[in-house]
Amino acid sequence: MSTSFPIGAPMAAERSLVVVSAGVSQPSSTRLLADRLAAATVDELAARGLRATVTTIELRDLAHEIVNMTLTGFASGALSDALTKLAAADGVIAVTPVFTASYAGLFKSFVDVLDKDALAGMPVLLGATGGTGRHSLVLEYALRPLFGYLHADVVGTGVFAATDDWSDGGGDDVKPLPERIRRAGRELAEGVAEREPAKPAGLYDAVPSFEDLLGH
Amino acid sequence: MQFGIFSVGDVTTDPTTGRTPDDTERVRAMLTIARHADEAGLDVFATGEHHNPPFVPSSPTTMLGYLAGVTKQITLSTATTLITTNDPVRLAEEYAMLQVISDGRMDLMMGRGNTGPVYPWFGQDIRQGIPLAIENYALLRRLWTEDVVDWSGKFRTPLQGFTSTPRPLDGVPPFVWHGSIRSPEIAEQAAYYGDGFLHNAIFWPMEHTAQMVNFYRQRFEHYGHGAADQAIVGLGGQVFMRKESQKAWDEFRPYFDNAPVYGHGPTMEDFTRETPLTVGSPQQVIDRYGAFWEQVGHYQRQLFLMDHAGLPLKTVLEQIDLLATEVVPVLRQEAEARRPAHVPAGPPSHAERVAAARAAGEVHTQRVAEGDHWTGRTAEDDVDAADAVAR
Repeated sequence: MSTSFPIGAPMAAERSLVVVSAGVSQPSSTRLLADRLAAATVDELAARGLRATVTTIELRDLAHEIVNMTLTGFASGALSDALTKLAAADGVIAVTPVFTASYAGLFKSFVDVLDKDALAGMPVLLGATGGTGRHSLVLEYALRPLFGYLHADVVGTGVFAATDDWSDGGGDDVKPLPERIRRAGRELAEGVAEREPAKPAGLYDAVPSFEDLLGH
Repeated sequence: MQFGIFSVGDVTTDPTTGRTPDDTERVRAMLTIARHADEAGLDVFATGEHHNPPFVPSSPTTMLGYLAGVTKQITLSTATTLITTNDPVRLAEEYAMLQVISDGRMDLMMGRGNTGPVYPWFGQDIRQGIPLAIENYALLRRLWTEDVVDWSGKFRTPLQGFTSTPRPLDGVPPFVWHGSIRSPEIAEQAAYYGDGFLHNAIFWPMEHTAQMVNFYRQRFEHYGHGAADQAIVGLGGQVFMRKESQKAWDEFRPYFDNAPVYGHGPTMEDFTRETPLTVGSPQQVIDRYGAFWEQVGHYQRQLFLMDHAGLPLKTVLEQIDLLATEVVPVLRQEAEARRPAHVPAGPPSHAERVAAARAAGEVHTQRVAEGDHWTGRTAEDDVDAADAVAR
């Protein structure tokens, strides 16, 4: 089954950005970074004549439901809505704090309950926060392989924000945080703009007919 | 509409007493439960099939064959028969034997099994679950409908000139359901053959169940077996009842909280809201289960899980009594009152299937193999047979 898109409509279609934030304190620097990344992406999309809506998923609010789904196999309540929105997104921004040398357990638990194809081919921008810049490679050794496994289309620039990065000058004289955020937002916007807008997929569109299953 | 019970046959410690039945006690409890369901007037008893502890029902046709002899009216079924790891030749033989012994008072439900390690124990691979279910079932059907089968496929050794015995009762195979929770390919399979589809909804929200059932209905119509609302649908369910709702909640909560599948996860409040699990009075069960047809259409079979999570036998028998005396008569009457005339009341009985096959000119009289050239001689002497194998 395939649905044809109305002629002339694609460029006008609104893109959907879904932001996943695994920060647990409030206020959270992880959420702050996630918001900045989203704003940069929206600006860059606007510069390309594309409007975008942003939906932010705070994993803290879904923590109990994520554990329940781990145990029962099905998503309940707000988690079910979050998973649906994520799978239907045109682009995803995923940001986690560094806990004990890796992504937060809550972040991984959320990734664990995603459908295995939910992020396949999805433009994804990765971000992480931590106390010092000494954790910054977490993006490369932990987050990028995880999203590689999911066949996500991860943009080249990931953004790590240490506590110092939030100082006036952006913490780094050569590549201050605001500049890195702009660059990452631009890369994600390019990925989103190149892609056909996500269509609401029929739940069972991909089921082969039984003749195909039988091999006839 | 049929109402019955199904058992997964789990051996679970009663969390309120710390007592665990041994395997023998659990098997005997299942037999007692099935006989009690028959006497109470329920329509179906279905046993699971498992090949790993803590589950005891490894040999369904032995159990159901015994039950066929000691029960009067109840339909004996499975929930489910492993179409992936069982040899379809043995399934054809065993279930045709059960069909003959029970005089057609049986059907069966195919399922894949979701326990990875069980597959290699039987020489299979869980990643091939769907292809196994498709190939094995296609062969099973041929073994029941064709007297002599030549076959080759991917998952089992080829057959040349094979006849599965006993031939099905009156030349008409048992009615088959297909059970699946998440795989639309299995709904597609059920629809293709015009078989029944049962969605075991007990751990899932009803919205998900409705999507799968409605997909099956549309595909049933697509394959020309009738209108979508004439497809044969079953649902799994789960209830715990006492006359007073609060007593049911208090009594069931420790079993819920420690249950093997969902224990230590969602609260019973969440789970009863999100899934068909209903804890309360018989009237509350009637209200909830009497409304599922609004989401899935009129359906033919409702099964309940009653004997699990360590509930003592005495309690299970009380639950069966409440179900059979207070709930089922009302639900049955309501279902019959609203059922459109063109929609089947239940799944087809053996007699109905025989009548339909005769009307369609499909049924042939039962036959025994005319010349048995296989036994009583050595293979070396039997040149024809040896040639047939070599071909």
